[in-house]
Amino acid sequence: MLEIKNLHVAVEGKEILKGLSLSIQPGEVHAIMGPNGSGKSTLSYVLAGRAGYDVTEGSITYKGENLVALAPEERAAKGVFLAMQYPVEIPGVTTMTFLKTALNSQRRARAESDLDAVGVLKLVRAKAKTLNVSEEMLKRALNVGFSGGEKKRLEILQMALFEPKLAILDETDSGLDIDALRLVAEGVNALRDPSRAMLVITHYQRLLDYIVPDRIHVLAKGRIVAEGGKELALELEAKGYEHIVKEPA
Amino acid sequence: MTGVTALGLPEARRNEAAAVFRARGVPHRRIEEWKYSDLKAVLGEQGLGAVVAQWLVANLPSGVEVFDLSQPNPPGWVMAHVARPTQNVMNAASLALSVGGVALRVPANSKIADLLKLDFTGMGHVRGLLVLEEGASLTLVEGVGAADFRNVGFEIALGENSRLEHVRVSPGTSDAVLVEEVSLHIAKGAQYRAHFAGFGSKLARMELEIALEGEGAEAHLSGVSVLDGKRHSDVTTHVIHRHGNTASTQLFKHVVAGQARAVYQGKVTVAKGADGSDSSQTAKALLLGEGGEADLKPELEIFADDVKCAHGAAVGDLDAESLFYLRARGIPEAEARGLLLHAFLEDAVAEITNIDQRERVRTEMLAALKVIA
Repeated sequence: MLEIKNLHVAVEGKEILKGLSLSIQPGEVHAIMGPNGSGKSTLSYVLAGRAGYDVTEGSITYKGENLVALAPEERAAKGVFLAMQYPVEIPGVTTMTFLKTALNSQRRARAESDLDAVGVLKLVRAKAKTLNVSEEMLKRALNVGFSGGEKKRLEILQMALFEPKLAILDETDSGLDIDALRLVAEGVNALRDPSRAMLVITHYQRLLDYIVPDRIHVLAKGRIVAEGGKELALELEAKGYEHIVKEPA
Repeated sequence: MTGVTALGLPEARRNEAAAVFRARGVPHRRIEEWKYSDLKAVLGEQGLGAVVAQWLVANLPSGVEVFDLSQPNPPGWVMAHVARPTQNVMNAASLALSVGGVALRVPANSKIADLLKLDFTGMGHVRGLLVLEEGASLTLVEGVGAADFRNVGFEIALGENSRLEHVRVSPGTSDAVLVEEVSLHIAKGAQYRAHFAGFGSKLARMELEIALEGEGAEAHLSGVSVLDGKRHSDVTTHVIHRHGNTASTQLFKHVVAGQARAVYQGKVTVAKGADGSDSSQTAKALLLGEGGEADLKPELEIFADDVKCAHGAAVGDLDAESLFYLRARGIPEAEARGLLLHAFLEDAVAEITNIDQRERVRTEMLAALKVIA
């Protein structure tokens, strides 16, 4: 599904990712762990297509297609979803309006017909309930005045609504207390599917207690320095990043 | 002295106004208040002229009285309020050079639900007078017709505890030079709400001078402008808190594309002894591209001790992070930009209380945004 080969990415001329390779198959959940500044967020942004993140070398192939050539909205319509670490607050756009616009934009790009307001509302309500997203939140301006937990729940609600093929979760655990974390993780686990791949990016092992990955990659200084099964998270937790990062890659 | 006699306008006041105008002449960019709106330059040789512009009451709700200012023997309510002395140069010009206009009155305690629709059209000078007597209420929808040049001098007197909502939409034109001065006197407990939507012209200037003259008097001004090409839109306000415990708010938002120019100059004066006055001014502009300009100038002049005044201005570009967020969720770039521009302007539009008018302004704003997003 996703094939990253020798990826080099520069931001404002400074190289952040320095030859990263990664391969994810449908149905798999991979985790990227790494200390601050290792390039985790850069990886998530370059996958989603944020301007200013320049691929200087290497390739990203998604379902056989060159992902780098696509605009962010084209990636979304083709099933790439990034749950952001810091969801943006947009005053003046209600959450419901945003969800409807986004959903129908993606449908249109796939030559599917628009859903009317009632159709979208029904769909959103059904998904919102399990994620404890209230009607009142949907009426408020997008993410404005939302707590950290509410913002993350809304990200997962969007993931449930858009049904992506490749979901990237960037530090979805940051800023969450244990109850909020559990709720978000349950939402993510409910979306695990043989046709869907997930890339969970996190600093801490904590999230991986709830979203158990098939494979873990450790990112340091722009490269994958260690890989393993879910037990690698426990080792990192016990010994810290220093221990692994210091070993020659 | 002014050439033609306007029967409904007092000749002595017209002569005073002519003297004010003669002393100052057509304003230009070296006059501080006209720095960003060089009227003299855009009018060129043609100058102000002395042609008479027209007015049209497109909808007159029952209970509202009209008097044509070109007619003799104006009733007492006209004489009590019309042609107050002014130092505003273009207001003086309109009084000196116009030979007519319209006067409208809402009698005491009349709550008018229907809209009063008043249009100013054609080229030249024209006067307007609107009087709301004690306890009256009205929604005024002002229409702006295109013209090579028009100067409207509009006086509004709000009696005690009256309520006026004023909505003015200035449609986009490339050639028109449109100047209007509104001078308002707001009595105790009365409230003025106004929204000015401007889509720009060669030079478009809306100038307001508002006096809050009694306890509890309030003025709430808002406006949006969406400008493209070489269009210009200027809202210049001066709110004077003459009495204590009065309130004013101002919220103006501008989206500027092309080589257009948006101007907001807002001065709030709190007179000596007007303690407990509360005022706020916010003006923000988004500049799309390199060619446009926004001149935002909020200003405070405080002579009282115990007041609450806030003001702020900001000019920026669309937030890149917000744009990426929307696009990453599948919304195409142009649509995402449109959504963010709408969101930016929306709180100013939301200030309009009349639901139909709010929807109308929103619709026109979205149409204008569609062109530039």
